[in-house]
Amino acid sequence: MKAGSYAILACDVFQDELEHLAAGEPPWTQIQYLEMGLHDHPDRLRRSVQAALGELAADSAVTHIALAYGRCGNGLLGVRADRCHLVLPQAHDCVSVLLGGRSRHDAVLKENPGTYFYSPGWVRGRRVPGPDREHHLRDLYAERFGDDEEMMEELIDADRESFAHHNCAAYISIIDRPEAKRYCRQCAAHLGWNYRELEGDPTFLEDLVRGRWASPRFLVVPPGHKIGADGAGNLIAVP
Amino acid sequence: MSTIEDLKTAVINGRRKDVKTLVPELLESGIEPSALLSQALIPAMGVVGERFKNNEIFVPEMLVSARAMKEAMNVLEPKLLEAGIRPEHTALIGTVEGDLHDIGKNLVATMWKGAGFDVIDLGVNVPAARFIEAIEEHKPHIVGLSALLTTTMPAMRDTVAAIREAGHTSVKLLVGGAPITQSYANEIGADGYSRDAASAVDAAKEALGV
Repeated sequence: MKAGSYAILACDVFQDELEHLAAGEPPWTQIQYLEMGLHDHPDRLRRSVQAALGELAADSAVTHIALAYGRCGNGLLGVRADRCHLVLPQAHDCVSVLLGGRSRHDAVLKENPGTYFYSPGWVRGRRVPGPDREHHLRDLYAERFGDDEEMMEELIDADRESFAHHNCAAYISIIDRPEAKRYCRQCAAHLGWNYRELEGDPTFLEDLVRGRWASPRFLVVPPGHKIGADGAGNLIAVP
Repeated sequence: MSTIEDLKTAVINGRRKDVKTLVPELLESGIEPSALLSQALIPAMGVVGERFKNNEIFVPEMLVSARAMKEAMNVLEPKLLEAGIRPEHTALIGTVEGDLHDIGKNLVATMWKGAGFDVIDLGVNVPAARFIEAIEEHKPHIVGLSALLTTTMPAMRDTVAAIREAGHTSVKLLVGGAPITQSYANEIGADGYSRDAASAVDAAKEALGV
């Protein structure tokens, strides 16, 4: 299916890949990015996506909005647009999108559940487990606990403990970003984890942004319907 | 003089060191260990859960509160035993196969201990066969299954099915985790669901009919 005029709403974790794909002439009419990491609070992610959809749909020429998102911890469930069709990849999250689909994502995790995924976007955000994570936390808590080193240490230590079961930093190589790849290696060394490289599959993102939205890889939600999920984990349109 | 309210505040704010001195002090002043649990620790974790749900705090703050609660439990558990309070119910808990996340699971385990359950924690990445083995060994009244990822929700479904197929039809199965909903719990045949750690005690009691 190819639509006439469509906008893109994307998590900014995909910014490097999307800019790369848009080199020359972007196929979309407009694009809006939301900050990465909103999935930590799925309700906040849902509200942010819903609000951004409202802004994009204000342009009456837009008939479809393609979301560079997945199920994202259920943060996309319940999202709807009154006038536009919504298009979503059948993906757990950005990792499924970058690896080309849920089945490969599942297979990598089955092989080693201790895999933590890195991509150019996640590396840019500098909040992945690694040498800069501590700075990120210090910034986050500077206002509240900036003069309380004991509490700061406690927060950093508790955060470190939450990654203790992981053992492998897997870099998804999808566009040529040697510095991001190097950084992932550095994170693995910092944490004492193994390093692994996974070849990304750019076609999923490419098809999303070029309007090639064939089922079953993509879900197209008619206006007025909501994004939902069935018991098997597939994203579905719910009246 | 310190009060129960001080202990509650210390847990909410994740002040582990303060908790370590407050608990013995309050016990010394004659307050029952069970009162510290029901009036300070459990309500404190309720507040923390609520704040997290409302996006007022991030995961690390929730973790430091959980650590503070655990610190208190380490002192209180032996006191509860000394006072002759024997757990009436045994609970098994674990994160399902393929999932290594244990923040929620650990919180629920602590809350259940706080509610007077004997809790056996099987850890993370627990295969269905291991749950079944532990059910046969410990004869629990309830089993808690946790999953954080949408990638591991199918493992939760398979584990529930495997436990039932192994003939353990009366043990109550409770499920939870960020992507889990009441309708998913119903669909996979669980006996109970809790949307956060603070309500996991009520969910367990409801499933047990106590």
